[in-house]
Amino acid sequence: MSFESFRQLVQDWATAGYLPEALAYGFVVNALLAGLMIGPVLGGLGTLVVVKRFAFFSEAVGHAALTGVAIGILLGEPYTGPYGSLFGYCLLFGILLNFLRNRTGLSPDTLIGVFLSVSLALGASLLLMLAGKINVHILENVLFGSVLTVSAHDLLVLAIVAVLVLALALPLYNRIMLASFNPQLAAVRGVAVKTLDYLFVVLVTLVTVASVKVIGAILVGALLVIPAAAARLVSQSLKGFFFVSVIIATLSTLLGILLPIVFDLPVPSGAAIILVAGICFALAALARALVPRLQGNPA
Amino acid sequence: MTAAANLTSACGPRIEFDGIDLTLGRTRILENVRFSVAPGSVHAIVGPNGGGKSSLIKTLLGQMPHQGQLTLHWPGEREVIGYVPQALEFDRGLPMTVDDFMAAMCQRRPAFLGLSRRVRPAIDAALARVGMLDKRKRRMGALSGGERQRVLLAQGLIPEPQLLVLDEPMSALDEAGIQVFEQLLHGWRQAGTTVLWIEHDLEAVLRLADRVTGLSRQVLFDAPPAQALTPERLLGLFSVHPRSESLA
Repeated sequence: MSFESFRQLVQDWATAGYLPEALAYGFVVNALLAGLMIGPVLGGLGTLVVVKRFAFFSEAVGHAALTGVAIGILLGEPYTGPYGSLFGYCLLFGILLNFLRNRTGLSPDTLIGVFLSVSLALGASLLLMLAGKINVHILENVLFGSVLTVSAHDLLVLAIVAVLVLALALPLYNRIMLASFNPQLAAVRGVAVKTLDYLFVVLVTLVTVASVKVIGAILVGALLVIPAAAARLVSQSLKGFFFVSVIIATLSTLLGILLPIVFDLPVPSGAAIILVAGICFALAALARALVPRLQGNPA
Repeated sequence: MTAAANLTSACGPRIEFDGIDLTLGRTRILENVRFSVAPGSVHAIVGPNGGGKSSLIKTLLGQMPHQGQLTLHWPGEREVIGYVPQALEFDRGLPMTVDDFMAAMCQRRPAFLGLSRRVRPAIDAALARVGMLDKRKRRMGALSGGERQRVLLAQGLIPEPQLLVLDEPMSALDEAGIQVFEQLLHGWRQAGTTVLWIEHDLEAVLRLADRVTGLSRQVLFDAPPAQALTPERLLGLFSVHPRSESLA
């Protein structure tokens, strides 16, 4: 079954009343499929982001996407999906940052602060230069995400990135984590610590860029952090940590896409997704405060 | 049992440090370090903080570009090094149990999927040897320093090493933990494992090591502990700041 015929089938079932009414719209089906890919990948990878204390980095890469979009439009790429510049610029941003972190000895937060501000200044300058040539709503979509513009092409890019990230991150999950606990011990156990560091930066960058369309440049990094942070509050083992993070990220993405449509709210999808994730975090914090078992240890 | 008595049954390597020089920036960390570690022996390294002990370990583990010759003479095909670091850098609130940690160390299968059937018996045995089997479901961050040190010792047992490098393994251990460590040392001796052991507790070195090297940028002594750990030598080792000389 081709993707088009699958989508048509879902739309037909929604029109016939077997599925929620919102699924009668093709763009909603596209967005939900995107959400089903984004949620588990961001939620799972997010656990490593939290373990490695890379939260600020993932935020910075998301913001770099703004500059990537500006460069893409300037170079004549389609403004609905300037993937060449997006991936190119953000990968350059992440790899250069990691390279300088290794070479200069500056702490990651200091370097990210420098890179983030310079990149935002570049992006703002380029976007203002382009402001006369493009529809200002495009900027809004780039910044905060939009479910209206997710195309079959975007889904294909997302699917390729999701498969690639899962295929690399799952077999290397233990090694990526081990490298952050003690690089020397990791090296003795055969882990190529520096190579894995670069690989992790590339994976975070790829998944961030592929998710920009739905969540938006400003907020995409947050979905790598909030679900994992919430899961960390209520879990007692890595199993709980990983799967609760995946569930929260997937639920947040799907609800964030659907709720504004169902309730006809003028809220961008990215903002709605992060608000749902934020509510999950608040509930997790509350649960931890109220349930003593979540604070301590089983004997 | 002495190192010499182990020579026939040793499965661990002989290590030769031959004129090792290490300079970081403008500071000379190691200078013409020359000594050897007998196969199957328990060899302690003592010295002041900043004396180059950890740098020597890093050099041995291939983590430091150095000058001079460092040779490991392995007795056979198998070349397994175990390493027990002094501490781990991790978020104490991370929901990672002892089992999760051991899985992350010892198996490819993602640790969040639980212990793999293949490594589970080895992990069970290692945790039993360090007396942590009943605490395997506890979070790593909630363990005491001594308990965490025991778990670090347990990971060093998998896969069974022929050379074991220990970085101050006794620093956080309580009395029961010290007994566990001594039993492990006994086991390594019997198995012919070469043990290179950085230690601050000179009484323990005197009691447990076959040979001791005093390191403060240079090798100040290298002899059996009973001969080496005399008050004069220790005064010489700990009274001069090793980093007082930097390159002109």
